Amino acid sequence: MRKLLSLGVALVVLSACQVNDTAGGSGQGSKEISFLTFETPNLGPEVWDAAIKRVTDKYPDIKVNKLVAPDQDRTAYAKQLLASDQLPDVLVAVSPAGFAESGALAAWTPDELKDFRYPHNGAINGKVYQLPANTQTIPVVYYNKKLFAQAGVTAPPKTYAELLDASAKLKAAGITPFVVGGGKTIHDALGPTFAGILGTEVYAKNPDWMADRRKDKVKFADKDFTRAAAKLADLSAKGYLDKNMLSQDYAATQNAFLTGKGAMYAMGNWFAAAADSPKTKPDFEIGQFFWPSDDGKQVVPAFTGGGLLVSAHAKNLDAAKKFALAYQLDKQNLDTSCTADGLIPAIKDYTPPSDVGPVYKEGYDMFRAAEDAGAVVPAFGFEAGDDGMLVGVPEKWDASMADLVTGRKSPQDVAGFLDTEWEKAS
Amino acid sequence: MWAFLIFGAPGLLVYVCFVLAPILVSVGYSLTNYNPFRPPTRFVGLRNYQLLFDDPEFWNALRVTTTLTLIVVIVPNVLGLLIALLLDRRGWFYNGLRSVFFVPVVLSSVVVSIIWTRMMADDGVINQVLRGLGVADPPGWLSDPDLAVYSIGVILSWQTLGFCVVVYLAGLQGVPRDLLEAAAIDGAGPVLRFRKVTWPLLAPALTINTVVQLISAFKVFDHVQVITNGGPGEGTTASIAFTVLRVGFTANRQGYASAMAIVMLLVIALASALVLKFLQRREVDL
Repeated sequence: MRKLLSLGVALVVLSACQVNDTAGGSGQGSKEISFLTFETPNLGPEVWDAAIKRVTDKYPDIKVNKLVAPDQDRTAYAKQLLASDQLPDVLVAVSPAGFAESGALAAWTPDELKDFRYPHNGAINGKVYQLPANTQTIPVVYYNKKLFAQAGVTAPPKTYAELLDASAKLKAAGITPFVVGGGKTIHDALGPTFAGILGTEVYAKNPDWMADRRKDKVKFADKDFTRAAAKLADLSAKGYLDKNMLSQDYAATQNAFLTGKGAMYAMGNWFAAAADSPKTKPDFEIGQFFWPSDDGKQVVPAFTGGGLLVSAHAKNLDAAKKFALAYQLDKQNLDTSCTADGLIPAIKDYTPPSDVGPVYKEGYDMFRAAEDAGAVVPAFGFEAGDDGMLVGVPEKWDASMADLVTGRKSPQDVAGFLDTEWEKAS
Repeated sequence: MWAFLIFGAPGLLVYVCFVLAPILVSVGYSLTNYNPFRPPTRFVGLRNYQLLFDDPEFWNALRVTTTLTLIVVIVPNVLGLLIALLLDRRGWFYNGLRSVFFVPVVLSSVVVSIIWTRMMADDGVINQVLRGLGVADPPGWLSDPDLAVYSIGVILSWQTLGFCVVVYLAGLQGVPRDLLEAAAIDGAGPVLRFRKVTWPLLAPALTINTVVQLISAFKVFDHVQVITNGGPGEGTTASIAFTVLRVGFTANRQGYASAMAIVMLLVIALASALVLKFLQRREVDL
């Protein structure tokens, strides 16, 4: 009898504690949201924590649980979370393809997008699910001025023939012309190089190539893509890309350029953050140019998107959207995105802070000039939404780059393979 | 009956919830075109299995997995036995060496993968040593598509070697000394004693090592994911488990991936059963 009484008292006490907790929580009125982030050499935890705090200081009723993707493939991680019914409320720089079509994402309204320069970018079936927050030029070819001078290359190349000539001189001087990488980060470590070639060979001739591919009007096996694939293979065959570098990941690739292991580094403009940072800036001066076309006409591949997305099933959907917009439009967050991640915010009336580093400033000015000249095209392999490849094909594109560089497949084989994978994915 | 229910039920419940139920759900998915991003889900019968047998990606994954399995079954078994024979002595030195060999077994596979990725990089310590020894163009251990799968096999063998050593050491402890002494008195040398006395009595250890290595190698995923992500190039190191996850979570074809997983389960079960049956015939009773 006594034992039963004790058990009953214990149960009553426990449920009273629960009631108190619930009452305490609802009394404070805080809205909890989860936020999936990712970390890179440029974006450490302190960058994210400070950015989140700037928003939660403005909206103290919002409590943010930060999640960190285990590696840079945050899209794959988000898919696993969706499959296990744990999609975070807010996500950053995750490709919306697939998520949007399945109804997992909340669409942004035209009013919510009024502050963005390109409010329709990355739309899926006409609706925008990812804030088109940042523009990235992919690639910019950063070069080591000291190594260029050492090899007798007096000026950055303006045509593709001049690029090959410069590469030959560098190789003759015992300098690796291009620093590239691979491993599991091949999309970011080698993808920009291929995007540069594809920009001049494919998108410069047909800016709607990907939309046409979706309508089956063009194929990877057509001459433009195949010629681009042949150029990448040719760079490797000539020894201008060291195929042994395919084993090094993104961080090691960046470090290889910053420590002078190669003369040129075709990378997204986010590299400017590392180039300007006092912790990582190299002991040589960095120059930059856009990937040159055959005839010297300027072609600048760029992608605008990369912003925050919100789950359609967020428990506190209004709070999630409020947080996402506030995070994206916060001036200090935008300034930090320039300095910490080299991004070009695509926000109306926004100009980068005056204290950005010289590499960033030069890249920003170059992009704006290209934009004014109408030279901007999509960045192949880095598009989003209806502008991008079908779900599952980008990973095949990634693997194909390695096949071209190692010579395992011919350009024609790669193009045929990508068409086959496209058919499987449709 | 009541005793079974009270003591056996919790374990059975765990087994049903975490093993049997997921397998049955996977079988169910494998009979559909389930893609969470492209509803609706329809019953397609055995179509996924038919597609599987015509899919070069699946056969490539099977080839890669078979290569890795052969390496991981043979190399640690052979080296494990040799090392166990050398360490089958008393003393603090040999005790210490046993611990040293076992350390990789308890390390996280992700940690092991990251360490070896750095070591095997083009400018990693292995190639630096080779260049120091005069090798001008050392191999691309992880960047050469023809070599990468063997490099992963070496890494897996390194990590599991300690397990085989420990099992063989335990087996060696079970060989009666008087049998070995009797053989020695009869004039048998060390090799003959090993062949006729020790080796037959090590059959259980061989069975355990072979079956465990076979199952582990067939399921390999994390090393592939961390070290090469299935590359370099298309599928050069993509094991079946890696391909299942890629098809299921990157391409989102979860019905098809489930079919691949079920086939993988059947292959592992069949291979394990055959190996077990063959090896258990060798086991002798004293």
